[in-house]
Amino acid sequence: MSGTTVTKAPFNQGVGDAPLVEFRELAVWYGRVVALESASGVIRPGATGLLGPNGAGKTTLLRALLGFVPWKSGRLSAFGCDPSREPLEVRRRFGYMPEADCHIGDMTGSAFVAFAGELSGLPRSEAISRAHEVLYYVGLGEARYRTLATYSTGMKQRVKLAQALVHDPELLLLDEPTNGLDPDGREEMLALIGDVARRRQMSLVLSSHLLRDVERVCDEVLVIDQGRVVTSGTIAQLTGQRREVCDVRLKGEVAAFLTDLKDEGGDFQEREDGYRVTLPDDATPELLFRLARDAGVQIRHLRPGAETLEDVFLRAVGHREPG
Amino acid sequence: MPVYDQSYRRYEARGALRRTRFWPITREALRLILSKRTFLLLLLAAWVPLLGHVAYVYVTTQYPEVGRVAPVDGALFARFFEFQKYFVILLTIFGGAGLVADDLRTGAILVYLSRPLTRRDYVIGKLSVLMALDLSVTLVPGLLFYAVAVALAPDTLLSAELARVPFALIGQALLVSATYSLVGLALSALSRSARVAGLALFGLLTGLELVRLVLTEAFDLPLAALLSLQANLSRVAEALFGVESGAAVSWWAALLVLVAAGAAALAAIRSRVRAVEIVS
Repeated sequence: MSGTTVTKAPFNQGVGDAPLVEFRELAVWYGRVVALESASGVIRPGATGLLGPNGAGKTTLLRALLGFVPWKSGRLSAFGCDPSREPLEVRRRFGYMPEADCHIGDMTGSAFVAFAGELSGLPRSEAISRAHEVLYYVGLGEARYRTLATYSTGMKQRVKLAQALVHDPELLLLDEPTNGLDPDGREEMLALIGDVARRRQMSLVLSSHLLRDVERVCDEVLVIDQGRVVTSGTIAQLTGQRREVCDVRLKGEVAAFLTDLKDEGGDFQEREDGYRVTLPDDATPELLFRLARDAGVQIRHLRPGAETLEDVFLRAVGHREPG
Repeated sequence: MPVYDQSYRRYEARGALRRTRFWPITREALRLILSKRTFLLLLLAAWVPLLGHVAYVYVTTQYPEVGRVAPVDGALFARFFEFQKYFVILLTIFGGAGLVADDLRTGAILVYLSRPLTRRDYVIGKLSVLMALDLSVTLVPGLLFYAVAVALAPDTLLSAELARVPFALIGQALLVSATYSLVGLALSALSRSARVAGLALFGLLTGLELVRLVLTEAFDLPLAALLSLQANLSRVAEALFGVESGAAVSWWAALLVLVAAGAAALAAIRSRVRAVEIVS
């Protein structure tokens, strides 16, 4: 009954404190497939969104953090430890909610979560006690004596969250936690995650391809695309440095207009009912009128707007649609 | 009040990691398996041969002429293990087929491996389940049989000739349990379906036994006995209990095959028990 004693870093560190996770020039390959390539970033205390299209490398980064996959080159540290050398030390400080189902169907909710707590190193009595508390917390108090096989999709997602929370991790890793949920279930799950982050002051990483989920819960965001971190920062920073955008509807041959806009340093995204145009730095909407006049295009509608996280994301990943 | 307004308590009293990290895995798996009534009946049934053998020893003490036909000796204990072997196979199939397969199918493997557990902890935890079940029908009744036999016929059992029996009992029980546990767990790890894993174990054991029978009886190839796990275990049992054998295969060759089968099973388990399945 001995082992290595772990000294826990203090909880409740505010955003801006020392990073919990740092990775530099990280490269992970699955055989010949490059999953992460020169990915660099930091995860600070607070709620961090890991955003990117499917296959961008988000799950691979989480797997590398947990020591599941070796990396080919680069450096990765979590809580000051190297997950490949000290996986147990790192894993006991993480709570992991995988994207896929992970349950033991014959177990009741309370037995399953208590079991997860014990596996994380809690004494049995404490694991049982905390399992009940956490199940109440995630809204499964009434269903905790039912076997997991009888749970609905939403309940399974909640019990996954409970098993990740039961040992009170220092950093919660949530991989697509709203997958498969109906709109109400999604709202409830996001509210729960938001509560974990804000009221319970637990640091978390929310990996998602859904911008709204990240925007709702997280303070910081890392945008990953094709195995690289393409942009990062607080959501306020990313959307604060935003450029002016306008939603426009055009009539006429718009190709020349759009080419001219690009030449001027602007950008555009095609929308269902027109275009969302990003103006060049320091430009005003008057530029659009000038370009339209030159290209012989009519502007039928123009509404100035603010760049959202979605715009930042799309700009970062080169306009490819998330998901 | 929204559900998430329920209380959440922080936990700071974290201690050192235990060395017996595998124990909750073993305990919970055993609890789930033993909660099935049919499985308990099977466990009980596995003790019936013990009663028969004890009764036989009793009869030989009362009617010595019976003992002259089939004496109480090492062969009796070796035969006892022949019976128990079939129960070990049944327990391994019904108790062990889903041990890893179910975790792979339901994704529960991530629940284990994302915790402060090594893959070795996981395998030891699961293997201990099968070992515990198998030893409960080999070692425990075996030693009990010996103890009762000593009580009934102390002069015979405590003779120098049979002094090896308790050690042979322990050795054979460990060998039988370890062999079937490892092979059973490997087949469970190679599948995502408990049913398929159970059928595969049954098919493997009966298939190899059939091949052995055909090759040895029809084609007069005695070395084919090495193909069958059961035959190899029987051969080693003969050596351990000091039973004279006309087998063409030496006991150490049989033991070597069993060790190789165990090593292959461990390699299969190692390749399959991963948090991430990498298809290259």
